[in-house]
Amino acid sequence: MIENFIAGSSALFGDPFTLAIFFFGVIGGMLFGAIPGVSMLTLAAILLPFTSDLSPAQGVMLFAVIYCTGTYGGAITAILFNIPGAPENAPTAFDGYPMTKQGKSGKAVGAAVLCSAIGGVASALVMMAATQPLATWAIRNIGPPEIFALVFFGLAVASSVGGRTIWKGWLSVLLGLLIATIGQDPVGGINRFNFGFADLAAGIAFVPAILGFFAVSEIFVQAEKRATGTFNAPKVGMSFPTLFELWAQKIAVLRSILVGFFCGILPGIGATLAAFMGYGEAVRWSKDKESFGKGNIEGVISSETANNAATGAAMIPLLALGLPGGALTAMMVAVFQMHDLEPGPLVFYNSPDLIWVVFAAMFYANLSILFVGILETKTILYLLKIPFQFLAPLILLLASIGAYIGRGLVLDVMVMFLAGIIGFLLRRSGYSIPGIVLGIILGKIGEQNFAQGMQMVHYDIVAYLSRPICSLLILAGVLTLGVGVYQALRAPAKKA
Amino acid sequence: MKLTKIISVTALSSMMALSVSVANAFECKVKNASMAKPNGFPDRALTMIVPYGPAGGSGQIAAAMAEAVTELTGVSINRDHKSGGSGTVGMTAYMAAPTDGYTVLEHIDDASSAHALDSSKPHPGRDLIPLVTAQVTFSQIYIRSNETRYSDWPSFVKWVKAQDGKATIANVSKEGSMERVTMKFITDASNMSIQQISFDKGAPRYGALLGGQVDALYEQPGDVRKFLDSGDFKPILTIFNERPGVFADVPTHKEMGMDFEPLLRFRGFYVHKDAPADRVEWLKWAFQRGYCQDSYQKFNESKFMTVIDSYRDTEGSIELINATIPQYRAVYKQMGLDVK
Repeated sequence: MIENFIAGSSALFGDPFTLAIFFFGVIGGMLFGAIPGVSMLTLAAILLPFTSDLSPAQGVMLFAVIYCTGTYGGAITAILFNIPGAPENAPTAFDGYPMTKQGKSGKAVGAAVLCSAIGGVASALVMMAATQPLATWAIRNIGPPEIFALVFFGLAVASSVGGRTIWKGWLSVLLGLLIATIGQDPVGGINRFNFGFADLAAGIAFVPAILGFFAVSEIFVQAEKRATGTFNAPKVGMSFPTLFELWAQKIAVLRSILVGFFCGILPGIGATLAAFMGYGEAVRWSKDKESFGKGNIEGVISSETANNAATGAAMIPLLALGLPGGALTAMMVAVFQMHDLEPGPLVFYNSPDLIWVVFAAMFYANLSILFVGILETKTILYLLKIPFQFLAPLILLLASIGAYIGRGLVLDVMVMFLAGIIGFLLRRSGYSIPGIVLGIILGKIGEQNFAQGMQMVHYDIVAYLSRPICSLLILAGVLTLGVGVYQALRAPAKKA
Repeated sequence: MKLTKIISVTALSSMMALSVSVANAFECKVKNASMAKPNGFPDRALTMIVPYGPAGGSGQIAAAMAEAVTELTGVSINRDHKSGGSGTVGMTAYMAAPTDGYTVLEHIDDASSAHALDSSKPHPGRDLIPLVTAQVTFSQIYIRSNETRYSDWPSFVKWVKAQDGKATIANVSKEGSMERVTMKFITDASNMSIQQISFDKGAPRYGALLGGQVDALYEQPGDVRKFLDSGDFKPILTIFNERPGVFADVPTHKEMGMDFEPLLRFRGFYVHKDAPADRVEWLKWAFQRGYCQDSYQKFNESKFMTVIDSYRDTEGSIELINATIPQYRAVYKQMGLDVK
């Protein structure tokens, strides 16, 4: 492995043009990830035709680098403006933005930079060491029943995040799950709640919903505070987290690496589930669950470590089996095909040089997040000094572009504003915005896998639960739910 | 290297040789290498609405055809992916777009099956003008190459029957889909019952077979070529009236006693019927000649789309669509679906 890694590094650094492509990918991924309204997918789609003029190793390496740094880039706007650059950065906003409001933006961004780098480097190392056996294990042991059980396990703690009471937390999650059922059902293709509108047949897209619930509702909340004279501009906090603060989070980082890696390795799942699961596990194991959603640095750390840990892991099924884990890895398949190559087992036999250049580039791209990210952060934090009356319309404009650009549908912009209004009203009443978003995202993934899993076991619940990993996760989820309900019932009694 | 892989690589070489021979035999049916632009049309970039994501089969053919047409004419084509709702979101957006010829549509046979189920949906041969059908392919049933419980279609059917309805096959079995309709034909004709598991994305679908989560897979050969090349999958049934050369050792459904007309997967390009006639003629030339471009032919070859004739001009496309719709409608009624 070491010799191959050195060979890959030499090929990367030995050719100035390859190195230039690497840096272009690092900077481009970060910028497109950080600018609301566009994403790393936008950059990848623009670059795709040009990769035919690159060597196969350069083309695939460029996309792999964009994947690593783009996944991190969206954290910046999530923390500073409550605008997640992509769905996988949404949990970062749960605690990152409250930290900004408390004047701790530097600490939040610093933690995101460092933990994205740690998560990414760790997963790149595991990817280099054990791509083929891990990919084979994952597809043999993890099917739709296990993925549903994983989602159920994650949702079981969702009620603890951000709601005034656990019951309001649960109602928020249930609202999210209900919204997730809009559109064609994921297995039979039957229309639900689309009221005859063809555009709603595709359901509520993640990005407009996230932008509405987070960014637009926040603008409304801040505007109300200005109108009532209670507005306080967020303080620009330039102090980064101390080594001691970060060392105290070592368990959260390790846990999120494992969670992120596990989610990333599953074909078709990718970084979004990883970030939500990483965040959920941080809440589950915390002694101070109620601090989440209110500015707990562990929330930022867990989400950002997990989503970057998923990047290396998502390359495993892609490279070893030809199974992409998400939209960007699916585009990488197109890059392979443009060069008459197919990702999959034969690529290790036919193009080992390509594989190791990509592995090395991903390793260094994740490391570069640390250095480039810190430099970028020092400048981007000053954006918070823009007065609210200028910043708010700018955010609304960028959010509107971001909602529209994905599918080019006005409906998505309307959904965003509607979500903003609903989010604003629900926040006033103590409901949980993170809970709603968790419900929307995990609901779609969970429903599809539950339906597929039930079909696989012929609707026999005993057969469903006889799968060991599935039953273990469901049992753990039920226990978590039971403990949560017990604690909620006991809380008023204690007060009395 | 494992023996199966060596065999598969050998098989791949022979497949490639055959594919190349087909490609060499390719003759462009559009003789005019150029065509004057009618009144300067198009004087700006075209927009192509694609009702599916950029990474899937539709996204890839849209990119390949856009590149070929641009190479040929110098006119840029911007692809606008409006995915969701099994193609209905993109179709609805297209029908609301200006009918000046600057906006074209990529769509697949789902447009025909959607109209068969609900006649208020656009008829791709009447409400739209097909510019070219650029991919026509057949489906196959695949198993893992290292499968020990069955090895060919007869042993698979025998094994499925013994499972009493508990065997599984991965496909895209949404209501009214080509896959579900064909599986009904197959299960009725074979007198067997098999549980269909619907995966809307390719990766989890192929992963389900690779990992042993399901017992078989229904798919088109171009989509699983990498697994055929690597020796992981093997076809046991071809759903086509004759054995294509590269799958000469795989029996067809008719040979296995199933007497139904196969439904084909086809992807093509359309323009609105109200577009100006002279512009439509130019677009027909550009897309039909674009099919002949080397870059497009190379793309189709890589997708196993030269195994059978993938090309249909406007008339051929309308014929294909008009043959497909009644076939779907009849089986929908048989399945008890609410045909409107």
